[in-house]
Amino acid sequence: MSEGVIEVAGLRKEYPSKLGRPPIIALDGIDFQVGAGELFGLLGPNGAGKTTTVKILLGLTKATSGNAGIHGFPVSNPESRRRVGYLPEGHKIPNYLTARQTLSIFGRMSGMSTSDIVARTGELLERVRLSQWIDVRVKKFSKGMTQRLGLACALVHKPDVLLLDEPTDGVDPVGRREIRDLLRDEAKTNGTTVLLNSHLLSEIELTCDKVAMLRRGKVAAFGSIEELTRKTEKYKMVASPIDDALVAAFRNSGAEVERVNGHLELSVNDVAHLNALVDQLRAGGVMLSELAPLRSTLEDVFVDLIKAPEVQP
Amino acid sequence: MKVLVANIEDVMREAAARWTLLAYFTISTLFILIFAFAVNLDIVEGSLAGAKLFGNDVQMHGQSSISIDALVGYVESGLVGFLFLFWPFIAIFATAHLVPRMMEKGTVDLYLSRPVGRVKLLLSRYLAGLLLAGSNIAYLIGAMWLIVVWKTHVAHPRFFVGALIIFFFVASLMAFAFLIGVVTSSTAVSIMMTYFLFLLGYPLVAHDRFAAAVNAEWKAAIIQGLYWIVPKSSEILGAVVAIVSEKNLPRQLSAGLTPAPFLSTAIFAIACLMLASWLFQRKEF
Repeated sequence: MSEGVIEVAGLRKEYPSKLGRPPIIALDGIDFQVGAGELFGLLGPNGAGKTTTVKILLGLTKATSGNAGIHGFPVSNPESRRRVGYLPEGHKIPNYLTARQTLSIFGRMSGMSTSDIVARTGELLERVRLSQWIDVRVKKFSKGMTQRLGLACALVHKPDVLLLDEPTDGVDPVGRREIRDLLRDEAKTNGTTVLLNSHLLSEIELTCDKVAMLRRGKVAAFGSIEELTRKTEKYKMVASPIDDALVAAFRNSGAEVERVNGHLELSVNDVAHLNALVDQLRAGGVMLSELAPLRSTLEDVFVDLIKAPEVQP
Repeated sequence: MKVLVANIEDVMREAAARWTLLAYFTISTLFILIFAFAVNLDIVEGSLAGAKLFGNDVQMHGQSSISIDALVGYVESGLVGFLFLFWPFIAIFATAHLVPRMMEKGTVDLYLSRPVGRVKLLLSRYLAGLLLAGSNIAYLIGAMWLIVVWKTHVAHPRFFVGALIIFFFVASLMAFAFLIGVVTSSTAVSIMMTYFLFLLGYPLVAHDRFAAAVNAEWKAAIIQGLYWIVPKSSEILGAVVAIVSEKNLPRQLSAGLTPAPFLSTAIFAIACLMLASWLFQRKEF
């Protein structure tokens, strides 16, 4: 394997079934690497194997075959978790602890000294807007506050790698944006590698540089957001007035035309074709106010991928 | 060491937040106060000339005086005997949740995602639980010893040996509670099974008689096997009373002072901890 901070190769996980049924295959030989400072998203429908992948990376569950490692240590070695911060989905921080005590206990478990913990606690709770709640028990926290404390808990020992499972779950839009900014800042300033597992495609699209889409235990798509949400030959045209005759003329030229919320969406053959349509529009005295290429969203890519029939080897 | 300190902090904070710590020490303090105020002794030249219990005169059985040293031996052996019968219930009740609570979904991930081996995590938690139970036994026995010294001016260090034996026995039961906690993830089951094991040790002292009374060899083998596996509640109770009272108890109790019950109970505890560690290591979350 090369220099990925997180390295996964041929990872397979089978869960045994009862009554002689065939085992359930949660992961079917997945491979990916995440480099230092990358913001990496793991996507997939329920049961695709995202959480299983994260759990294997943390040694919470064991792979049936294949390799996984962090910082060159196999995940079976607790040292692989020395510089890893983890925020599990639906985590339950013991509710009898205060925010300060939570960071103290989990910081110490990560090998931090008391003075380091004290110094880090104030700074971190300030970052996640919990400094006013430092000595309040977690049982009095809202869902969003618990989530932000979980994030602080994952960050307490200044990890190089962050594994986050639905980090914005239950967080309000402002809080989400703050978490996004915090993750981007961690990656940019400290070179932290972030692996984000989320159902919220827009969150992934706004946060991550690269994604892997899992489908039935396999990596169905892998690449940067730019690559996956590639440009199409579709354009948004805002012009006025556009009558039916003009739309018919566009269609006659071979373009596909749709009226969407007061504007047109055009699918053209190439740029020359687009320019010809614009000439036609201008010749008719129509005022063009906007013409922009359309990209497919991550959601479009995801839905297409999920709906596509599976190719048998 | 940091892992151990973190676990101790966690366990103590939980005990404090859930009122376990307060209840634990309140019960102990009540016990100490009752003992302190209930007993009034009239000591004349190193011998007990009269005694009052809850304000009532205690019959001296025709004796005009009793050696105060012997009396302290009786009182202290009675106390440790009572505590041996009673304290394991409270200690297990206060600590049996430590593993099931840690293994709850959403919580276990937080602990296991730290750079700590699972065996180390489990054993640190066990030691933290022992510290909780042990601090209470030390408080109770220490306070009672001071009261005895204050009232009689007789100091028997062997009273503390009694405390150590109770602690040892609680440690063996707690090892079993941890094993059940790892297997079932249930606090209620851990408590029930551990209480059952503790009580089972008493009738099993008559294992030879039970084995002789059954009609099949395999049944006798099971009874004898159980006897050797289960912690020896009855023998260790006899031993702790004999050790604390020293020479003043009947010979049959002193005869219980062999290392075998202690050794087999220690082996049981170590085996439980090893099995719990192995299972916890293999467990998938």
